[in-house]
Amino acid sequence: MKKLKIGGYLCALAAILGLVGTILTIVSGMVSVDNPLANTGMIAAAGFVGAALCVLAIFAPSRWGNFDLVGSASILGAIALYCYTFGAAVGQRVMLVAGLFSFNAANEAGWSVFYVSVAAWACLLAGCLLLVAGAFMKSVKEA
Amino acid sequence: MLARTKRGLWRGLTALLVLVLCVSLLLGNILEANAGTIDTALGTISSGFVSEHDANNPLYDKFTPPEEFLNADGTGNSHALIEAAIDLGRREVAEGSVLLKNNGALPLGSGSNVTLFGIRSHSNLLGSSFGVKAFGGYISLEQALSKSKTDFANTIAWTVGSRGAANSPTVDGWSGDEFDFDGAGFNLNQTMIDIYDKLGETYVHYENEPAAEVYNPGEPSISEIEGVNSGFKSSFAQYGDAAIVVIARPSCEQLDYLPGGVADGLDFESGEPFSLTKNERDIIALAKECSDKVIVLVSSSASVEIGSLKDDPDVDAILWIGAPGCYGMLGVADILSGKVSPSGGLFDIFTARNMSAPAMQNMGKMYYANTEGTIVRTGGVLGFNPGAYAIEAEGIYVGYRYYETRYYDCVAGTGGADSPAGAYASSGNWNYDDEVTYGFGFGLSYTTFSYEMQGEPKFEIGANGNGSPSAFATFSVKVTNTGSAAGKTPVQIYGQAPYTPGGVEKSAIQLLNFEKTDVLAPGESQTVDVKVDLQYIASYDESYNNGEGTYIMDPGDYYFAVGNGAHDALNAIMAAQGMDASKMVGEGNKAQAYRKNITEGFLSKTMFSVSKTGYAIKNQLPYSDWNYYQPGEVTYLTRSDWAGTFPKTYDNMTLTNPELIDALNGKIYELQTGDDTSAIKWGVDSGIKLHEMYGVPYDDPKWDQLLDQLTLEEVMYIFSFGGPSIPGADSIGTIETYMTENAGNGIAVNLNASKDPDAPWAIPSSDPNGNWHPEVFANAPMGASTFNPELMYELGQFEGIESLFTGINILWGPGLNTHRHAYNGRNGEYYSEDPVLSGVAAMEFAIGALEYGLVAAPKHFAFNDQESERGGVSPWMTEQRAREVELRAYQIAFEATKYDTADYDAGMRGLMTSFSKIGAIECTSSYGLMTEILANEWGFIGYAVTDIYDDVDLWTAVLNSGTTCFDTRGQGNFYTSTTLENCFLFANQMYSDPLNAHLIDGDANLQLKLKDAVHKNIFAWSESHLMNRYNATTHFGSRMTWWRATYMGLEVGSGVLAAACAVMYVLSSAKKKEEKVS
Repeated sequence: MKKLKIGGYLCALAAILGLVGTILTIVSGMVSVDNPLANTGMIAAAGFVGAALCVLAIFAPSRWGNFDLVGSASILGAIALYCYTFGAAVGQRVMLVAGLFSFNAANEAGWSVFYVSVAAWACLLAGCLLLVAGAFMKSVKEA
Repeated sequence: MLARTKRGLWRGLTALLVLVLCVSLLLGNILEANAGTIDTALGTISSGFVSEHDANNPLYDKFTPPEEFLNADGTGNSHALIEAAIDLGRREVAEGSVLLKNNGALPLGSGSNVTLFGIRSHSNLLGSSFGVKAFGGYISLEQALSKSKTDFANTIAWTVGSRGAANSPTVDGWSGDEFDFDGAGFNLNQTMIDIYDKLGETYVHYENEPAAEVYNPGEPSISEIEGVNSGFKSSFAQYGDAAIVVIARPSCEQLDYLPGGVADGLDFESGEPFSLTKNERDIIALAKECSDKVIVLVSSSASVEIGSLKDDPDVDAILWIGAPGCYGMLGVADILSGKVSPSGGLFDIFTARNMSAPAMQNMGKMYYANTEGTIVRTGGVLGFNPGAYAIEAEGIYVGYRYYETRYYDCVAGTGGADSPAGAYASSGNWNYDDEVTYGFGFGLSYTTFSYEMQGEPKFEIGANGNGSPSAFATFSVKVTNTGSAAGKTPVQIYGQAPYTPGGVEKSAIQLLNFEKTDVLAPGESQTVDVKVDLQYIASYDESYNNGEGTYIMDPGDYYFAVGNGAHDALNAIMAAQGMDASKMVGEGNKAQAYRKNITEGFLSKTMFSVSKTGYAIKNQLPYSDWNYYQPGEVTYLTRSDWAGTFPKTYDNMTLTNPELIDALNGKIYELQTGDDTSAIKWGVDSGIKLHEMYGVPYDDPKWDQLLDQLTLEEVMYIFSFGGPSIPGADSIGTIETYMTENAGNGIAVNLNASKDPDAPWAIPSSDPNGNWHPEVFANAPMGASTFNPELMYELGQFEGIESLFTGINILWGPGLNTHRHAYNGRNGEYYSEDPVLSGVAAMEFAIGALEYGLVAAPKHFAFNDQESERGGVSPWMTEQRAREVELRAYQIAFEATKYDTADYDAGMRGLMTSFSKIGAIECTSSYGLMTEILANEWGFIGYAVTDIYDDVDLWTAVLNSGTTCFDTRGQGNFYTSTTLENCFLFANQMYSDPLNAHLIDGDANLQLKLKDAVHKNIFAWSESHLMNRYNATTHFGSRMTWWRATYMGLEVGSGVLAAACAVMYVLSSAKKKEEKVS
């Protein structure tokens, strides 16, 4: 394992954020039984696999060098999977959020779901942005 | 090194573009899933009907707008439509505003120099912040009084945001037409206008405001006025012809006023939100300094405590103006200037202290003591509180029925009516004159009228073809204008049934029906016939026939009377009965009353035990009464013992009965899994399509064929997703369509966002008036106060016309709950405390709307008696109360007997159920309410939707009850984006698996119920202007919109660029490898 450079660190951070975001997404579907997330299994799998790909994107350059194909494919895959997790969750919360800011402002359980969801979405989006930033940069120190 | 940099660049760009691609894909999915809602908000059309249109396949030939709203080429004339709305809004308020007091100060002459007082004179209250909101450009009081042309561009109604959301304009702006009008022609004191304009920076008010649990009317003090302009009083000399003060109390969905719920330090007169604050009283005192003509305008949807103003000789006139909508101030100006003589009657009784109503002893936020651990059902998708309730211990004595009945018993000396119990404004014993400020139905005019019964009423007692009772009495009333000004007046007929202490509870007076005269010149008379359905004077006796219960008519003397309100009519009856005039409040004229001794031979005691459909009426809501589960714990008010039964507050009730707890937990229906359902036909193609069903009677066998064509899955979609977007069904040629919207004061869709853009009269987006939003009319009490059935019908007609321009064929409105008390924050959406006034108003509206193909679906059926904990609150009451008060309003509207003909059973074709329960059972899931009463007794046929997302966890019980679909706002793109299986709304079912297409495969009862529900839904569609859009060639078509083009462009652009960058990245990687190899 070569010494990591900034791209590697960004991938590592993205993996952590993706992991946290995915866990929070799952939690958001459990805060209230009336606001479950459909397809939670698929959503969770996408998030976790995305995080795993981030990890792969850290290690691959050690073997194949910076900007290698495996690491690059992992980054792109992670972005797509994070986006899926984020999008699938957002899509199911549109009406909840619309209601909270209009006719259903008193829905305390709904606000709890909302706050957890927003935290999850922020993590996943931040993870994606870090992956994009990392893609421009070297992941490991090369001789 | 350079190659490596390039690879990094290409990789980074690829990653960035993949992110953009993914986000645009997600955006696209979300937009498509919510396309209907987005179209409404943005005025776009993303999908629609594609049809050939020729002589063999006609379109738009069933319902059309009147020619006056069309241009010569058949296109829509938005200018004419808005002009007509202004005229109707003006007439409604001119007829509905109620003159409560006038010492001769009104009317004011044209050219009067007037000063306006109160911040609400400058920032008018026009509608509700949530619910029936006034949208768009409006005509302010100042403009109506002093201008002659609208200034919509600079006078846009705003609304108060909720939970920290920003206050916002109701429309983005106005660049369309302005309109000339003839205002009052007064000269206004600009000094005070400027002061209030400045104070508005501190006391921020908007045209649509909410009720509040802790209320502050936001009225500046005199010292604050002086702080802006210390010399303001010098302007009074020039503008002292009259001083007009405006006092306001808003209403809205979601919030109630609460007892004692007032902001600190404002010195409310009675410590209650509907009493005047010190600043409000001071401003009236200031008005007296300005002029010897002081006129108070009361803007509210409930009783404001204005007893002190009534008694104040220096307050010359009081005019109730409701929440008058966008153009109603013109009607107010008409009255103030004398162009129109006021003719409205009060929609509710106005009491000295609202807390004196027995209903007020049990309202607000009350919870079971042992909710936790007992009620396991959650608060649902909307997060409501599952353990709230209200014991309606006042029984049938709601509103004026309480005050007038107790007054009657006071004079009669019965029932201990004059005891101190329940006395709030009286010093010592209860006294009507102290407790009541203005009675129900009361209203003054600029002239006076006499009313006289003309001979014997015409009784028509018989039976309909199906053996059901038909019993009417037509009263001919001679109305004479005895004053010196022209004017019109309501003709209100009231009744009194004989009461026996200890027997069935009966109100001493109740409205039976009403009409309105034409404009009568001084000295002119008109004989007005008012036809009364005698079933509305019958009483519901729950104990009749060993507890089976039904309506009864006790033999004895029945009194009928005409009067200027309930009190006047009751006084007439008391005079006819020879009661002690010295004890009466006001005088009684026995010429206004008529006595009829009803014997068994004339009209049998149980004549009304059968409904108009021929169905036997008996107890259907035993679970509405707390005592049904836990006997003896609640005492209901009886006039045989006013003092002993005046309601106490039932807080912290404890649930002990297991059946009660099960019911509250929604354990109502047990899903069957092994029924033989082979006899139930699904998917049997007969080649019938929806367009062939226009005008086909509900019981025609062709409907069975159509229903058999549908697949079980299609029917489950139609039941599960009841709007606004309603799923299509390939088997009968229907297309997913955005059909429904709010509201009672206008269709909530901009003209240029029509859901039916192919209509020849559709207003194009290029129309300068395109962003006119039709929610412009006054709150509901104003319509009720007109006491004018023709005007109520005209309002329905106009909303029907609006619906043709906006492409909405089902209206979630009007509001039809009765006012239980003044503190219900949503009173502005409901007509009145009286079921007959409410029911007639809704019936006229609905039949008028249906003339143009709009199905009105009144809400909230039923018992939505408060907004506090409205989601699932349990109102507990006797079945007599349920039937004689709340349900009677719906019954009148749904039966619509007035419009029945030999060939056509008229009626409303829609309703929305209530969030609330009835007793222990959700209204949505009550078989007694939805099937036995609504369908079997009243013959309701139509679309019966839940309130938004309500009781989605009780899918099987809701279906079993007779409710025909769920309000699933926001759901769309069915069968693909939104499915039975993936829709989050139905994922949590209390007593079954999550919703799926096979959930009821083994339940024959539910499959039949499903067929029935969808039959009713589609029948309602078939009577609406949706049928304008269908012919044999109709199919679905997707359309390009700017938002669709944007996300698709992003998808394609980012996809292509991402691919290109990826290729460059791969090529640069390959190049690097080559460099390494070489």
